[in-house]
Amino acid sequence: MLWLIWSISVFLSIGSIMVMLLLILRRALTGRRAEANAHARQHLLRALISFSQSRDRETLKKAILAEPADVALDAGFEFLALLRGDEHDDVITIFNECGLPVHVGAQLRKSNEAVRIHAAEMLAALRSANAVADLLSALDNDRSREVRIAAAIGLCDLGALPPLVITLRKIGVAGQRSRRLIELFKRFPQQRISELRDYAARADTVPFVKAAAIDALARTGDPQLGGFFCRAARDAAPDVAASAVRALGRIGHPDASVILAEAMASSDWAVRSDAAEAAGRLGLPAFIAPLASLLDDDAWTVRHAAAKAMRAIGPNGERALREIASNQSSRSQRTASLVLSEGPAV
Amino acid sequence: MMSDWSHGIVLAASILSWIIVGLGTAQTVVYLLQLLIAGYALSQRPPVARSALLWHRYSDVAPPIALIVPAYNEELNVVESVHSMLALEYPNFEVIVVNDGSRDGTLERLVEGFRLVKFHRPYEDALEHQPVRGLYSSPMNERLIVIDKQNGGKADAQNAGINVCRAPIFCVIDGDSILEPDALMRAAQPFIDDPERTIAVGGTIRIANGSRIESGRVREVGLPKNLLPLFQVIEYLRSFLMARLAWSRINTLMLVSGAFGVFLRAEVVAVGGFTRGSMGEDLDLVIKLHRHMLDKGRKYRIQFIPEPVCWTEAPESLAVLGRQRSRWQRGALECFFRYRSMLFNPRYGRVGFLGFGHMLIVDVLGPIAEVLGYILIPAFCLLGILSFQYLLAFTALIFVYGVCVSVCSLILEEAELQRFPRASHLVVLTVAAVIENFGYRQLNNFWRVKGWWQYLRADQNWGEMTRTGLSEKAK
Repeated sequence: MLWLIWSISVFLSIGSIMVMLLLILRRALTGRRAEANAHARQHLLRALISFSQSRDRETLKKAILAEPADVALDAGFEFLALLRGDEHDDVITIFNECGLPVHVGAQLRKSNEAVRIHAAEMLAALRSANAVADLLSALDNDRSREVRIAAAIGLCDLGALPPLVITLRKIGVAGQRSRRLIELFKRFPQQRISELRDYAARADTVPFVKAAAIDALARTGDPQLGGFFCRAARDAAPDVAASAVRALGRIGHPDASVILAEAMASSDWAVRSDAAEAAGRLGLPAFIAPLASLLDDDAWTVRHAAAKAMRAIGPNGERALREIASNQSSRSQRTASLVLSEGPAV
Repeated sequence: MMSDWSHGIVLAASILSWIIVGLGTAQTVVYLLQLLIAGYALSQRPPVARSALLWHRYSDVAPPIALIVPAYNEELNVVESVHSMLALEYPNFEVIVVNDGSRDGTLERLVEGFRLVKFHRPYEDALEHQPVRGLYSSPMNERLIVIDKQNGGKADAQNAGINVCRAPIFCVIDGDSILEPDALMRAAQPFIDDPERTIAVGGTIRIANGSRIESGRVREVGLPKNLLPLFQVIEYLRSFLMARLAWSRINTLMLVSGAFGVFLRAEVVAVGGFTRGSMGEDLDLVIKLHRHMLDKGRKYRIQFIPEPVCWTEAPESLAVLGRQRSRWQRGALECFFRYRSMLFNPRYGRVGFLGFGHMLIVDVLGPIAEVLGYILIPAFCLLGILSFQYLLAFTALIFVYGVCVSVCSLILEEAELQRFPRASHLVVLTVAAVIENFGYRQLNNFWRVKGWWQYLRADQNWGEMTRTGLSEKAK
């Protein structure tokens, strides 16, 4: 046993040192390649900057074709983000003419996860002929949920997103917890917004997805969604109710005062806090009384949101807050005076 | 009669030696398992995306984060550090510097540097801390808030910062550390990808000694010229790339470093924040979070991700390093014994068995067994009480496996991350990984045993942590 400990240790130590020496050798060799790539990248960036002034397509094409495709894509994609209008479109056309999207398509199929996610983003930006087919294939077949989400976002940008039910099924249950879905929903085409609303209204939709969809729907500012938000504000899942009251705070609704007053009595502090904030945003004097009662809430976040909302309502709200601050010492009084004192010290 | 005596001595020496060798073997097995798991975890991680891409991808959905920076006698670096924090690449963050009753000109430097003015900001007294003397904001940058409070220690200052912060997520960082510009964006990624379960995320701490630093940024990664910080480079690689990555993979991460950790504020408030006066407040907090979530039966993740990097200054003198290591040991012992009811408690599953089991073997018994081994096993062999094989096995466990583990953590670094820019750095580090096992490791164990002694004497002294300042190193 004791000899065994010695023998194994010597074997493992010598083995580890040998592996390390190989890695050092590898580093020495790859270091040169990295330097060459950095040089090529600089050369290409210079060509892209020159193109901004000269608009000489042939020179830029030559410069792109002279460098390895992955270096050209790497430098080009970042540069593309700085361009707008005709110049942006011209560079995309040149990239397509140089056959770069084919290389990106191959990256989307064969590379590691980080490269595949990036490839999905590049394909959408390059808007090439193969983009939709490649992204659909990634959404169908890729084993990484992050790549599938990136492919869905890319398809959304290209106006080729499959029906939402199918897209989310392909993204998978685990992917339906990612905040990246918010990004997808934010980019959802305006003409298909009813599809997003219908999906959010389904009973079997995951609460996180429902909440993200409601947040995205609220950004549209469409007053017709008010009724849907009112119903969602009564959802049993706190995440959904909170996002719905936030949405009501954005777009308003005739029933908002009743719904928000109900939400201010919710058992979940996040819902109460969001309801108070929404009330402040809407600025209706009818909210002063329920907000004043929230100044005594157990959760500081709720008390603070309620006091700020009262200030946001205007002179009436501020007056009510000052009255409470001048009352006898209580939690409400302390909250009111603290919030009233916010700002530069005198 | 004499033969009975000698037989008894041999038996006692054999038993003691077997205990020492057994504990050494257990420790080695733990390290080798960690290496395997960490290697697997790294191989499964996708290669790192560039920060420009991260911004493009995540900036719209990144949650607000408050950066909490406790500062005590940091006048040397504080303004430059805060400038570099304010320049971080993150869409929605605030920097809360907590001046913990500094005796030097920390507050004055901040007031001058950022033209601070006193202001009122209502906040929740959710966590206890020493009284706040004032809050300051800067007309130069609305992201900056400075809390001036009475001295209460690091945990106390962090609690004050948590009270004042309004973001749902906060990041603690030491006042003398440097975050890489994209570190927050990378550390926020688990909160974006899995927002419902992620409650804490730790990043990598690296040694900045020897690197070129300008304007609060690490411009060129280098290696320390002195041996002591060079050995610490290897130690940090071993600790972060091997141990934490492995524990994170099996959701049993017991430590998110207080020098750079990101936490969900609501959960930290629910467990009472950082334990004031604790020697290992970061370890203590993570254990509390585990216990809280497991008691509630909630699904959660405490993750370590290697990409976000925070640079720190390593002690360059034996005295300062020794004090630091003794303090760390006291912190580990304090937490182990404070939460000892979790040890091998089925209610706490992997945390109770693996996490606490690891602490028992490596932190509680490990240093004592090793130091005893240095003294007793050679002595027994020289006196002819034990055979040479015992000495050989002990040497294997301490020196030869030590080399293997140190070099393997370097292999993980090079195979997956490649943060050292030159091949020559790797050569130097490989040599350091070998020789740190001959002298430095023993010294470390001596400091840890000293920490044990201080713990038994209930010594609560933190000791002075003299720093020369990272910006000085650039010159």
